[in-house]
This record gives sequence, C-alpha cells and structure tokens, in this order.
Amino acid sequence: MRFWTRASDIDSHRAALPTSSVGAAVAVAVPRPPRTRPWYADVWIQMLRRKPLGTIGGVIVVVMLGAAVLADIIVPYGFAQTSLSERFIAMNGAHWLGTDQLGRDLLTRLVYGARISLYVGFGAVLLGCVLATAIGVLSAYFSGPFDLWLQRGVDAWMAFPPLLLLMSIMSLLGPSVWNITTVLGVAFGIQNSRIIRGVALSIKEYTYVEGARALGSGHLRITVGHILPNVLPTIIVVATTGLSTVILTEASLSFLGLGVPPPYPTWGGMLSLAGLDHMYQAPWLAIWPAVALSMAVFGFNMLGDALRDLLDPRLKGG
Amino acid sequence: MKRYVLRRVALAIPTLFLVSVIVFAMMRLMPGDVATRMVEGHAYAPTLAALRKDLGLDRPVHVQYAEWIGGIVLRGDFGNSYWTRQPILDEFVRRFPVTLELAALTILVSVVIGIFVGIVSAVRQDTASDYVGRILAILALSVPYFGLAVLVVVLPSIYFKWTPVWTYVPLTRDPLENLKIMTVPALVFGVTRAGPIMRIMRSSLLDVLRQEYIRTAWSKGLSERTIVLRHALKNAMIPVVSLIGLQTPLYIGGSVIIEAIFRLPGVGLFFFEALNKLDYPVVQSVNLIIAAMVVGLNLLIDLSYAFLDPRIRYR
Repeated sequence: MRFWTRASDIDSHRAALPTSSVGAAVAVAVPRPPRTRPWYADVWIQMLRRKPLGTIGGVIVVVMLGAAVLADIIVPYGFAQTSLSERFIAMNGAHWLGTDQLGRDLLTRLVYGARISLYVGFGAVLLGCVLATAIGVLSAYFSGPFDLWLQRGVDAWMAFPPLLLLMSIMSLLGPSVWNITTVLGVAFGIQNSRIIRGVALSIKEYTYVEGARALGSGHLRITVGHILPNVLPTIIVVATTGLSTVILTEASLSFLGLGVPPPYPTWGGMLSLAGLDHMYQAPWLAIWPAVALSMAVFGFNMLGDALRDLLDPRLKGG
Repeated sequence: MKRYVLRRVALAIPTLFLVSVIVFAMMRLMPGDVATRMVEGHAYAPTLAALRKDLGLDRPVHVQYAEWIGGIVLRGDFGNSYWTRQPILDEFVRRFPVTLELAALTILVSVVIGIFVGIVSAVRQDTASDYVGRILAILALSVPYFGLAVLVVVLPSIYFKWTPVWTYVPLTRDPLENLKIMTVPALVFGVTRAGPIMRIMRSSLLDVLRQEYIRTAWSKGLSERTIVLRHALKNAMIPVVSLIGLQTPLYIGGSVIIEAIFRLPGVGLFFFEALNKLDYPVVQSVNLIIAAMVVGLNLLIDLSYAFLDPRIRYR
C-alpha cells in the first residue's frame, strides 16, 4: 500500500498522468481546484465518461466474474451431472441452452467454464506479471552483460510460434489445470518482460533514482521502492490487455486436448474435435461455447484497450 | 547498407543457438518417456533398456545434443522419426507446401480485407463506414478462429445440407480442386486475423494524413485518390508490414489447429501427430526449423525497413 501513495506523492510523470489529464479536463469545464482523488479511482470515472466500449467490456467482465464466483448457487445442475434420458434436448424450460450427448446441461457447463477460464486466466496473468516484472526490472537495472544475455534468451523464446512451444510443453507435462496455468504464466511473463524492461529503462534515468542512489540507497530499495511503483501502471495495462490472449490460448490448448482435462468443462474443450460428431446432431453444442468465448475475449479486449488508453497512452497500437 | 546487413545477420546466430538449446532441453528435461509409450504401443524391442539403447537415449544428454546439432550443421540431417524411422527433413519438405499455401492465402485474405477496411475507415473517419469498419475489426478480434472453423464445418451441413468431403488434393495435380479445398480454411483463418491489421492500418494512415507534406499535396490540388494511395499509403504501411511480420508466428501456430480441423496434410498436422506420440526428434526439429524461419523472416523485415527508411541504416 505504501508504494501506491508514494507513487502519487512524488512528482512522477507516469503515475500522475491520468490525474493530471483529468485535472485539465475539469479545469476547462468548471473552474475548480484540481481534484485530489487517487488515480486508480479516476481511471474508472474516466472510463464511464469517455470509453463506452470499455464500459461494455467491463460489464461483460463483471458478469463473467459473477458467474464464475456464484456458479454453485446460480445453476441447478452439477457440471458433470449426466441424465441419459435427456440427451440432445435443444432448448426448454429446464435446460435453457439445451443438453449434450450425456444429457449434461449446457448452460451449467458454460457457467462453470467461465470459472475455469478465469481461474486459469487470472492465475497465469498473476504469475506472468510477477515474472515479467522481475525479469524486466532486474534486466533494466543491472544492465551490461547480464541484461544482454537475458535478453538474448528472451529473443530466442520469442522466436517460437507461441502455440507450438506451448503445445510441446503441455504434451510433455500432460493436461491439468495446474500445469496449464503455470506454463501459460511463464510464457506470458517472458513475453511481456520486454515491455516492462523498456519502461524500467526510462525510469532508471530519472533524477530521483539518481538522488536515491546518492543518498546511499541499496539495490533493493531503489528497485522496489522507486522503480517498481512507477512501473505499476504499465503492469496493470499488460495484465488487462493480456488476459484475453491468455484465455484464448487456454481455449486453443483445451481445444486440442492439451489444456484442462475432461471432467472440468472448458469452452475450448466443449468446442473440441472430439465432440464434432455430436455437433452435427446438436449444433447448439458448437454455437454457445463459441459465443461465450467470443464474448469473454471481446470484454477483456475492450476493457484492456480502454485501461491502456487511460493509464499509458504510449503503449497504444502495440 | 552492407555493414548493416552483416551486423544484423551476426546478431541472429546466438539467437538460433539459444533456440536449439531451449528446444532440446525442453524435450529432455520434462517428464514423459517415449520409450515406455513405444513399448506399450508396439513391441519394437524386447525390453525398455534395449529400445533406449537402440534410440540412443541411454547416452549423456550433452552427447545427444551434440549429435543432433552436429548432424544439422554439418550434414543437413535433422534426424529420423522414432516411430516411422523416416528422415524428418523429407517429410517436412513434402508437407511444407500445404502449410505455405495455407499461410500465403491466409495472409492474402487478411491483408486485403484489413488494408481495404483500414483505408476506408481512416479516410472516412467518424462516418458510418468508419463505425462499420471499426465494429468489424472488433468482431474479428473477438471471434476465435477455431470456434469459427468448427461452426463453418458444422452449421452449413445441418442447415444447407452442404457437406464437402475435405480430402486434400495437391496444387500440382489439380489447381482448381486444390483451391476449392484451401479457400474455406484460408477465409476462416484470414478473416479472424484481419482485425489487428484493420486497426493498425486505420491509426497509422490517420497519423500520416495529418502530416505537413499531405497538406502540401492537398494545396497542390491533387485528387484525394492520388494523395491517399500515392503519397500517404507507402509511409502508413511501415507499421502494417511490421505487424504482419510479428503475426507470422501466430499464422504458423494457428495452422496446426486449422490443419487439424480441415484435415490438411501440412506441417501442422505432422507436428500435432508427432506430439501425441512423444516423437522427440520430430517435435524438436520441426520447432527448430520453424523458429529459424521466424528469425530469418524477422531479419528480412528489419532489412526491408532499412530499405524503406534509409535513416535506420545509420543507427
């Protein structure tokens, strides 16, 4: 918590960016003293005012989050609860979106699928952000041969088509929720360490970092106390724009049978080739998971884009 | 220019070395034993130990690495598949045209759609056609290509009784029949990949159209067509070209899924089948070849920047 307040206290151009732009906008409309609202509250108010698509994205994300958290309460069936007398029902009062080849309720499976997607997505992004920050900040701070070699390693990793590399690793480790979260997290971290490194490199040059060094601060104090808080907005941007990619990648791996293993319902797994024969009989088995996945990707994309524009306009267009 | 080219090529070599180390280490350090899988599947050898010896898996890891990389560098030999015992390079070369054709058609579809919609969106900024274009881009970004592919395979057969048989015909045997088969996968994949191109084309063209030399062109009395297509487009294309380069790995990774859905016998399907059988040499060599292609392609793109924008050469 301490880092947050400090980031807005000191004259940091990055953390202060959203706040100052709000100050300017408000000053034009109504001459009032500059707001003292914290920047992370301002971002959401700006979102509601200026970013309609971002707001729609945010609503979708909130609905998805609600479905994931309250899955046990809002749906009457279990995700693996079969009922052979009710196979391939199209749509009726008891099964709003129909049932599959084992008589499992599709809506129930979609709701639990949101839980798995978010669980893997958030887990991987959290792990990835920690890793990206560690690699990026350390690489920028201890420049020289350490940076050079670490960055060649990152180069080499980025030379692979991401899906090919992830497929190779997942086929060796075997499909499981834990494995896919870890693997996606590591891949996400290595890929995004570049962006964090770039930002950390520019922050390192500011005079307050030099000042801290002159006062005798150690490496730990400078990196954690001075550089990290100012990289934070970028980390948030990387995390929100990355979530849709991670969710999509998890779905593609589950689609190929290399992601989350069967009893758990996942959107990618529900679309997968293994169930293709049943989809000819019951097209809704293909349509609804595809719709759910598209909605989720849309929501996270729009929310991420809007947050990026508000928090760090320099990353635009990437 | 010559010095710039040489320096860029020299920088690619350590990257390729690290790529090979990552691939090899990954395949050897992870759990998952191909010998056990092979003995369970077919009785290739009397015992596990005999099979390991036969495949050369009993030797130290660094010896195995040296042999693999040595074969590639010295003899151009990428090793043999464990299961079929056939040379990997031959199979790769036989299947590569399919993947290349798919990738080329996909890129063609996505670039044509992306650039066209992007230009219209930028030139008619904040009009109805701009909004339609932007909504299309968002849709293309959101719909996963494998979901669209499954829907394209399943839905027409139910509602229109349209069930084409997806049997691949090589381009050299019957170009028309081949194109008929490749068009649908390329369209599905290309449409979903057009989203980012539309967006970057739009924003990059908008940036360029605001510059001074465009105002000069207007004041000379040139037509809008000449200004956009002749003066603005070349400069606006630089980020688009770099995006296409950045996306190439995604085309290749995605072609694994597209080839699996449409049963196209390309490199992607080869790779996917090898993965399921834990065929180390195939997986590691295909990974290496493709990564090398990506490195090579990025190099070409960097060099083409230097060609498009002479300032880069002197950095």
